[in-house]
Amino acid sequence: MNSMNSDFNEMVIEIKDFSAYYGPKKAVKNANLKVYKNKITAIMGPSGCGKSTLLRSINRINDLLPDFKVDGEILFHGKNIYDKDIDIYTLRRRIGMVFQKPTPFPMSIYDNIAYGLKLIGITDKKEVKERVKWSLEKAALWSEVKDELEKNATRLSGGQQQRLCIARAIAIEPEVILFDEPTSALDPVATQKIESLIEELASEFTIIIVTHNIGQASRISDYTVFMYQGEIVEQNYTSEILRNPQHEITQQFLSGKIG
Amino acid sequence: MNELTMKSKASKKNTRANKILRALSYLVSALIVLLFLMALIPGLKYWNIQFFTQFPKDGMTAGGIFPAILGSFLITAVALAISIPLGILLGVVLSEYNLEYIKFVVTILSGIPSVVYGLFGLGLFCITMGMRTSILAGGLTLSLMVLPVISSSVYETMRSIPRELREAAYALGARKSEVIFEMLLPAVKKTIITVSLVSAGRAIGETAPLILTAAVFYATNLPRNLLSPAMTLPTHLYFLAAAYGQKARWMAEGTASILILFVIIVYTIAFAFRREEK
Repeated sequence: MNSMNSDFNEMVIEIKDFSAYYGPKKAVKNANLKVYKNKITAIMGPSGCGKSTLLRSINRINDLLPDFKVDGEILFHGKNIYDKDIDIYTLRRRIGMVFQKPTPFPMSIYDNIAYGLKLIGITDKKEVKERVKWSLEKAALWSEVKDELEKNATRLSGGQQQRLCIARAIAIEPEVILFDEPTSALDPVATQKIESLIEELASEFTIIIVTHNIGQASRISDYTVFMYQGEIVEQNYTSEILRNPQHEITQQFLSGKIG
Repeated sequence: MNELTMKSKASKKNTRANKILRALSYLVSALIVLLFLMALIPGLKYWNIQFFTQFPKDGMTAGGIFPAILGSFLITAVALAISIPLGILLGVVLSEYNLEYIKFVVTILSGIPSVVYGLFGLGLFCITMGMRTSILAGGLTLSLMVLPVISSSVYETMRSIPRELREAAYALGARKSEVIFEMLLPAVKKTIITVSLVSAGRAIGETAPLILTAAVFYATNLPRNLLSPAMTLPTHLYFLAAAYGQKARWMAEGTASILILFVIIVYTIAFAFRREEK
């Protein structure tokens, strides 16, 4: 079934028999998944299939929801992140996240990034400045905003806001970045920029991206996981899944019959 | 074509309704401005150095209102010094810890008539806690009055910040306190300034609670400390009107004009901040 045999890649995250519940509703059902270092793994599926829930379980951001419960394990470098002795704040620093809608804080561009840096104890002005520049360059935003770092981030365009959020995430140097449909609120030009940015980032970070867009998965991802009604139906190299889907439901999704 | 003409008829109707509404709102604004001017202008002619710096003399027929200005300032300062930090804290707690019941109580508190606050302050601060009639008792009473105003406003603004922003902060590894104090509170800073000014405007004009807890009719000395009673602008105005009648009318007009001026200044700054916010 699982034909991903990435012998040459280090495994960063392993999801084992993992289920997630909102109250009585089981949103993710016994998922098993491996995520490899410096690869882009796309989680694809129709809306409501549990892909976002699975993603949001990986940095435990769903813990904020009152009725959320889980079963099974998510191993990060072999350690279950739902173990009692895990410090979720450290975990979230190592597994960053970019959301569906851009989420700039209502403060300056500079302060948006400095906020995250302060969380990891970087407050030295010179170092903050360097990191702000470094992360904005990495997020391909520096040339557009370098003269207006004091401008309120909410006044940037949607695409720029999303790149700022990426800069903010990478400024604290996580290992993994989770993208939750990062381009669904953006126009095609902005989407294209974000996609090429994500591809570049894969050289330094391990990336998991949730998308319902087949084109997006095929353009940027190395591996694709297809989910349907809370279950992982199949997972493989993206090119394999697209060329030769094993399950009928996957075929139907890829051909646009469900979505 | 027919449809188009129908539409244009409807929109004509709309413009007429708009014009009427607009005219009405101008009328109401004009009435309010008139009211302000009627309180402000008659007193202007009494403004001079003596009026601002002297005590009232000769049975309120001469002198100035310096002690009332000072008293109002001190009591408002005490009230704000207590209610701003507490109000922010209460608003934050209400919004971030889902305390719907307490929010309900706070909403009710903001509807209680000020004289009831006055009686409460008289009982609790002046008598039970032994502060007697004093600046401190008056300031505390007023702080209770404006506390719900500040906390409700902070609460509403915090609530209007989308959940996604909180999640984004948590996703960077922030703790709850770091989300609240370093992301949410800076985001509502302008609201806090605005509502503090609005509260100052309310506190400075409040009369009934101060008659019961802080104000004296006439003071020969300036307040020595926060446990001294004081004269204030609104209570002075009340006493003048109630007890002195025509011969002190000039002083009442002068007092009213200063009070109105303070209120205009405070609200104008608050309004400017609110505009900038938008």
